[in-house]
Amino acid sequence: MIQSTSLLESWTQENNQLASGCKLQDGQNEPNREHNLFRQRRWSSDFHRLLRKIQGIPPHLDRAQLELSVVYNTCVCFTAQSQFDEAELLLTQTAQRLLQIAGDDPGTSDPSVLWRTALKSVTGTALHRRVLSLLCLQWGVWLAKSRLTAVQDFQEEVSLLEAQSGAVWNDCRAETKEKISNIPILVLDPRRLVDLLKICTAIVQGAERLTEGWSVLSALQAASASPAPRALIAYTHLLSGSCLAHMNRPQMALQCYRKALETDPRCVCALYQSALIYSRLENSQAEIQALRILHSMLLLPSTTEPAMAADRLLSPSLFLCSQSLSSLLSVPSALSVLHSLALKCVIHSRVSEGVECYLDLLAALQSEDQHGVHAAVSTLPKLPRLYLEAGAALLMARRPADCMALCDEVIGSTLDLLPEKVLLEDPVARRVAGSGEVTEEAENGLVRLLWTAAAYLLQGHCYSQLKDWKQAVTHYTRCINLLVKVHYKDTGFSLQMPCADKDAEQGVDLCVLQRLKGLSLAGRGISFAQIDRLREALRDLQLSRQAHPEGVSARRWYGEVLWRLDRKQEAAACWEQTWSNPIPSLSEALPVYAQELQSGPLLDSAELRQKLQELGPT
Amino acid sequence: MGDRLENCCRCASNVCKSDLTFHLFGGQSFSHDAGSGPTELKISTECLVAVADRVSSLLVVGSVLLTLCRTDASWSLTLYQIQRTSQSDPCDLLASFSLPLVSPKVQSDTESRCVLVCVYPGDLMPASSPPHPPRSHYPLQPLLFRRLFGAEAALSKSPVVLCGLPDGRLSFLPLRIPGSRLRILHSLEQSVVFVGASAVMETDAGCAGCLIALGKQGRAVLIRAGRAGLEGGGGTRFTLGCVPGPVECACMDQSRVYYSTGSDLLMVDLWDGSSGTAGRQGDKEDEASRSNPAAFLTPISLNVSGVVALHQPARSSAGEVQLLSLSVRGRLQSIRLPVRTQEDSLSKGPSSQVGRSVGDILSAIGDICERASVLKTIIRSKNQILKQLNQVVNISFLLSNRSESDLKPVRCRGSVRWSRLLQRDSLNLTCVLENLSPFVLERGWTLSVTVLPLSCPLEAGGEASSVNYSFPFSGLGPGESVEVSLPVAAAGDASFPVTVTCSLLFSLWRFLGQEEATAPLDLQSACFSLPLNTLTVDWLHALRLSDPPAPARSSSSPADLLQGFISSRQLRCRGGQASRPEEYSARVRVSSELLRDALGLAPGSPRVSLLEWLLSEGCGGVKMERKGIKTDGSSSVICGSAPDNATVKLTVNVEEKTKPLVIVEVQVKSSSVAAVCGLHHAVLRRIQVHTLSLQVILKFLLKIYQSEFSRTCQVWEASSVGVSSGQTPPLLLRVYQQLRDGPLLIL
Repeated sequence: MIQSTSLLESWTQENNQLASGCKLQDGQNEPNREHNLFRQRRWSSDFHRLLRKIQGIPPHLDRAQLELSVVYNTCVCFTAQSQFDEAELLLTQTAQRLLQIAGDDPGTSDPSVLWRTALKSVTGTALHRRVLSLLCLQWGVWLAKSRLTAVQDFQEEVSLLEAQSGAVWNDCRAETKEKISNIPILVLDPRRLVDLLKICTAIVQGAERLTEGWSVLSALQAASASPAPRALIAYTHLLSGSCLAHMNRPQMALQCYRKALETDPRCVCALYQSALIYSRLENSQAEIQALRILHSMLLLPSTTEPAMAADRLLSPSLFLCSQSLSSLLSVPSALSVLHSLALKCVIHSRVSEGVECYLDLLAALQSEDQHGVHAAVSTLPKLPRLYLEAGAALLMARRPADCMALCDEVIGSTLDLLPEKVLLEDPVARRVAGSGEVTEEAENGLVRLLWTAAAYLLQGHCYSQLKDWKQAVTHYTRCINLLVKVHYKDTGFSLQMPCADKDAEQGVDLCVLQRLKGLSLAGRGISFAQIDRLREALRDLQLSRQAHPEGVSARRWYGEVLWRLDRKQEAAACWEQTWSNPIPSLSEALPVYAQELQSGPLLDSAELRQKLQELGPT
Repeated sequence: MGDRLENCCRCASNVCKSDLTFHLFGGQSFSHDAGSGPTELKISTECLVAVADRVSSLLVVGSVLLTLCRTDASWSLTLYQIQRTSQSDPCDLLASFSLPLVSPKVQSDTESRCVLVCVYPGDLMPASSPPHPPRSHYPLQPLLFRRLFGAEAALSKSPVVLCGLPDGRLSFLPLRIPGSRLRILHSLEQSVVFVGASAVMETDAGCAGCLIALGKQGRAVLIRAGRAGLEGGGGTRFTLGCVPGPVECACMDQSRVYYSTGSDLLMVDLWDGSSGTAGRQGDKEDEASRSNPAAFLTPISLNVSGVVALHQPARSSAGEVQLLSLSVRGRLQSIRLPVRTQEDSLSKGPSSQVGRSVGDILSAIGDICERASVLKTIIRSKNQILKQLNQVVNISFLLSNRSESDLKPVRCRGSVRWSRLLQRDSLNLTCVLENLSPFVLERGWTLSVTVLPLSCPLEAGGEASSVNYSFPFSGLGPGESVEVSLPVAAAGDASFPVTVTCSLLFSLWRFLGQEEATAPLDLQSACFSLPLNTLTVDWLHALRLSDPPAPARSSSSPADLLQGFISSRQLRCRGGQASRPEEYSARVRVSSELLRDALGLAPGSPRVSLLEWLLSEGCGGVKMERKGIKTDGSSSVICGSAPDNATVKLTVNVEEKTKPLVIVEVQVKSSSVAAVCGLHHAVLRRIQVHTLSLQVILKFLLKIYQSEFSRTCQVWEASSVGVSSGQTPPLLLRVYQQLRDGPLLIL
């Protein structure tokens, strides 16, 4: 007996030393993440060692107070290191030991039953608040593991926790003041833990229900009024915004996002969501602005750091790991944002800005500085495609030399990887057969081939912009030679498959293929027309119209060539058709380089009309 | 080389968690300079750049540090930014890539290392690289690079990291491509030991046209670019080969691979062998080597044994190749290979070197064996100690957690016997320690018995002084018992009843072994005791029976005669009072029903059976060993002598005149007041213990008796030593007599 009491005291002292050391060091928190991690590991192993000593002997009521406190401290340390499984195991064991003291045996290891029985067994004793604080940790573990049903099952006990928290823990504090040495110290005040868990639960539940399509506005707004770190409040605003956006109220959603940003300026996802809404509202200027700010914020070092260090030992991000929440909070990497910014600029006729963005993007990709390149999921297109898009932007900005340099790089890296020929099977048959390796290889070949062809096409455009028609013809021809390497296996398979019918990447590739064909033929035809080889021009333009019926400039030039060949009636009929559909603006569905860039020689429509009028009277 | 080694050390230390000490060999003095020992380098925690568990390989590419770790389910390649913001901060983590394990069973050997190398397109030199590329960095022919890693990697001019894993997979990761992941290049199906690149043609200008990977069991794969456009897109050629294994370590220069099998160092010339000349990648040779892979790699022995690490070879201008190697015994060797011709390679082979190296290996095996056995012994003894401690803790808990009233699973019972040794009679207590618990009392426990008389002679200062006996015993299994024997009192000693306290002692000293000399614990904390039960030896236990009362003393024994003589002389010395010994008596009256009900005594002859019961019943955990009580069938009188040698008579009478209540009266008669009091107390105690339904008044009376008894005892002692016999307060004696005369009936 004598030994036991002295051990109890020494254990209590050990716990108190550890806990006060923990609190002290935690106070002088270093900014450095790795060191923190290192220290937390040490604490948790120290506490765990102590706990194993205590739990080495059978449970006893005299020691229960100390044991529960050490369990609490150990679990807090485990949770801080995201070792939720260890923490939960410990909690379950402790509940079982508690029941052993009480003499109950529920005969199950189901945690909720265990906790209920344990709580009942200690009701009214001094152990009650310790058990409650452990239950609170269990709540945190459930939350971190996204087991929301378990949390809801315990809603009653949890509300009990909230109700009693004030009274019970105040009581506890008074007692602590009375005799400091004998009471085991806790590393974290359970009341703070309750507050933190409450708002985190609200956020996670909100996110879950939002993805299930429920309206959770009221709960979120209630949560946003509670005292909590700014980052968490910002999340509640953000979720309200997403909810409103789901309810088709974009303006109100924008308001919420603004509120979120005002609460916590580092809440970049609010900015990103705003950009998405602007995009839906087709407010391209605002969208570009939002993307620009988002990009510059993502480049700041502070945003990449975990924003929430409100509670030092337990960061709220530990409990906010639900799948749907993280998908709501996810923001693309800085490079992806830069890319979409560049693309938007180019598409919405802010070409020079777009060019700058593209060049920044390529420089960032080439640089030694690896920050941001290795995002977990990259939405960036493949590098050659980026090069080609940048090239197209340069071309539109009338910088053909730069464009050609980029295209040279693409050609240099892909040219000797090109297959001799690409055999495409009927997509229907392929869908049945599944995706074999051979198909994949062929697709890779097709993709590379399309890159190289597009590079040649852009070079052809460059030369025609420089009015070097012979070179232009050469490059367009190279492009066409590449494109005809693609063969179709099935005879019934229509070449004229409309783009709308596609269902996969292959569909896009086929569409790009057709367009490249049409554009390169048109380009060569126009170049031929410029050097007065009208026959070849007429043939190419005719083929181009077959490959890509929507091509406007091809049709106009077809008319022009007909006119020059003195087939004026046909020319007039051709031109008449083109008035009805103007040159379509650029869209995001297809790569920019596979669309009509209006970089080549243009026909003045006024002049055409005049010619038509001349023809008209005759 | 110094730079590189330092560099290596820095990286290695940075990754490790604890402080490391490195042995750096001083300059060129490794050849024969025995005086210069290795220099110790202390590396402080400030050098820590990254914290990672189970790092099996690391590599620095530009400003990025890569570590390859094995986690439970996957291999993970982690990238850190080396350029630190401040000296004390660890590096920023850039990204982490993982590759799932094939199956845990296959990769049971965690010992094997991984290989990490970096290749980059040959037309691109990394900006910050020195003129000579660092170890594990290989410039690769741009064509081969494109073919292997695709257009994206070529376009971004990104360095590519190649990992050779212990499961035989050779995987690659382009560093600068967004969204890139670890992909498999090839599988060797045996642990990858070495990955290198070699220049095929002189025209490559420092770029390697061939990648080579070596497996642990000697499988090799050569990867070259095939003829352009022959096969769709790919056009890389994987040539499989075999070299005699096992491959411990390897390095390569322009066209040769040097590898160690542990017992020999071998050299393979990749492009100068029998199967073809360098540079020509003709299809014929490839087909030949593919069909017969063993033929194309023919190693040449260099006769150096025990090599476990090789440094990149240096080639002098004369064509000599110098290799630095580290032997298994820790010897750093410099191996110089002369410019060799075909004949050289066959003729060379000093047998003395082989003999020496075999000797080295044997002695190394001996050393390791010795160390292993020492370690094994230590571990075994620690386990033993832990096991014992566990038993000790179990027993401690078992014994400490029960209140006094419970029967402890480990307890003592005792029996007393008079024995005669060297003409002196003494009362011996035989104490039996029984272990009824499921645990073993290991060696190290000590049974401690404390004998404490209730009262003691006045000359001892009135304070009862206890006597302590310890009995160390060696191991007491469950159900076993151990017997110890100790003297309680000598003849003539009247300090009864005696309390015998048993406890178990345990000392932690024996666990400390050697360290006790260096760090002495104080005795208090190193030793603890667990109380067991308490035994009581009273007057009845100590009563020596003599023959049934005879009218005259007829002791035949000369010793008794002598004793009688001496005591008679003593009595005479005490003065006149003692010449006429007074008879004192005390009575205990019990109803016979009580005896029958509570004690289970036969109603037929209550007198004899009551006497038998009184004398033989184990009370207070102590039994009296007697060889049969010598009573006549009808007699109800027992004579004996008390420990103080006074004759004692115990009589049992039955009074039947008070019917229906039959009263049994036990009368104690003796000339010694102490004996009368003690026996009276003992009789009462026995009846008290067994009749639980005693009334309060009886207890009260017993209390009075006891206090009176002790006081009287003291008085009697005082008077008996003859200090002043006249001062004996007659009042007290009178009170005592009165109390004895009208005893209460115990119902």
